[in-house]
Amino acid sequence: MTVQDGLTIGVVVGLAVALVALTLAERRWPTTLRRVAAFEALDAAIERAVEAGERVHLSLGTGSLIGSDCAPALAGATALAKIAEATAMSDRPVVASAGDGALAVLAQDALRGAYARTGAKDHYRATTGRMLGPTPFSYAAALPVILSSEKVSVHLLTGSFGAEGALAAEMGERQKAYVLAGSDQVQTQALFFTTAEHTLVGEEVFVTGAYLQGSGMQRASLRLQDGLRLALAAAIVIGTLLRTLGVGL
Amino acid sequence: MRSGLHYLWTALAILFGVLVLSGYVLAVPSLQSIRSLLMQWAVVLSAAALLLGLVNMLSVHWNKVGAQEKGWPYSALLLLSLLGTFILGLVFGPDSAILTALFNDIQQPVEASLVALLAITLTVAGFRLVARRRNAASVVFAVSALIVLLGTGPWLIGGDGSWFLTMGELRAWWSQVWAAGAARGLLLGVALGATVTGLRVLLGSDRPYGD
Repeated sequence: MTVQDGLTIGVVVGLAVALVALTLAERRWPTTLRRVAAFEALDAAIERAVEAGERVHLSLGTGSLIGSDCAPALAGATALAKIAEATAMSDRPVVASAGDGALAVLAQDALRGAYARTGAKDHYRATTGRMLGPTPFSYAAALPVILSSEKVSVHLLTGSFGAEGALAAEMGERQKAYVLAGSDQVQTQALFFTTAEHTLVGEEVFVTGAYLQGSGMQRASLRLQDGLRLALAAAIVIGTLLRTLGVGL
Repeated sequence: MRSGLHYLWTALAILFGVLVLSGYVLAVPSLQSIRSLLMQWAVVLSAAALLLGLVNMLSVHWNKVGAQEKGWPYSALLLLSLLGTFILGLVFGPDSAILTALFNDIQQPVEASLVALLAITLTVAGFRLVARRRNAASVVFAVSALIVLLGTGPWLIGGDGSWFLTMGELRAWWSQVWAAGAARGLLLGVALGATVTGLRVLLGSDRPYGD
């Protein structure tokens, strides 16, 4: 084992220990979540959809489950489970879609688990977790059908999207739905800023679960993220100063 | 109500997650070969999941046609196309001339037209953004888009004048200093978010795979 291997193990174990410690500290010093207008409006939009007998649609994106772009879809699946629990008693339970077969299976599993936890197993239908199209633009082309036929009034995009994400968000706007869109791709975030009513910027796509009455660890992880960001920013500033002063690194 | 099996699924997810992560970050040949094997399994399972996704799609559209729901002819067309392409693929093979022609002459032009639609969609959405969200962020966004357009498209203001050269320099400064700096900040946030999400899955707190 090399020194680099040891350092890598140290960083991973250190982060895990810090996350567990922050989770334990959550009972005594609970994390105060920053106000995000999009999430405040999301709660109200979901309530309205349930009362009006309309449906929430959540997209896990056009990425894959086994690629490097799976993280936002995993965070999206956690949010999906939370929303399914919240809308389990609605006449029109949440519907999820993805551009990848494995992500569609993941969505079905998240929905099945959520309904089982809320005692509404009979609300689960395999067709509420769908693969719409195997390529990014075929996925976008199939979206209007699901939005209109399922009476969708809350359209959430939390996954990995490319340029097709702009079309996906725009279709929700045309349906006059509440649209909340986030992606791990920076270019797509810019497209969402233009096309979606509410945009998740930067790492906000990973925190949807925490804002939807998330677990202690989800809330604690926000603190860890903030701490790491500050440490990185400090390292960049110190490195720049040292370099400017001619100190070799 | 949960069955005790969810402990088993969580333990398996953590075990395989740790094995794959170790294979990536540690230069230990045995771990790397385990990681490679597990990733090969994942690819096979992902292909099987694609088939499941197609079956799911078939059942959704089959039900739509059966119930004569609004837009059912489109569903019927999708079913016919899907089954037709599938049978042709089985008979002639995925690399045959007929399937290549279907892809090049139908799939590609349709997707290219959607890309073209994207340009119009973004233009309309840009105007809507300025009209609907009149705040500092929207103004910065619109001004940035204008600077990049003027600095990139010489046909608008003449391609050889000093005005165009100035706009080109302004565009380069704006995109390479301000936009690139902001994008790096966002990328750092995304990387941290992905890392922490992975940690939560590895610690069994997030179980997106259900119970």
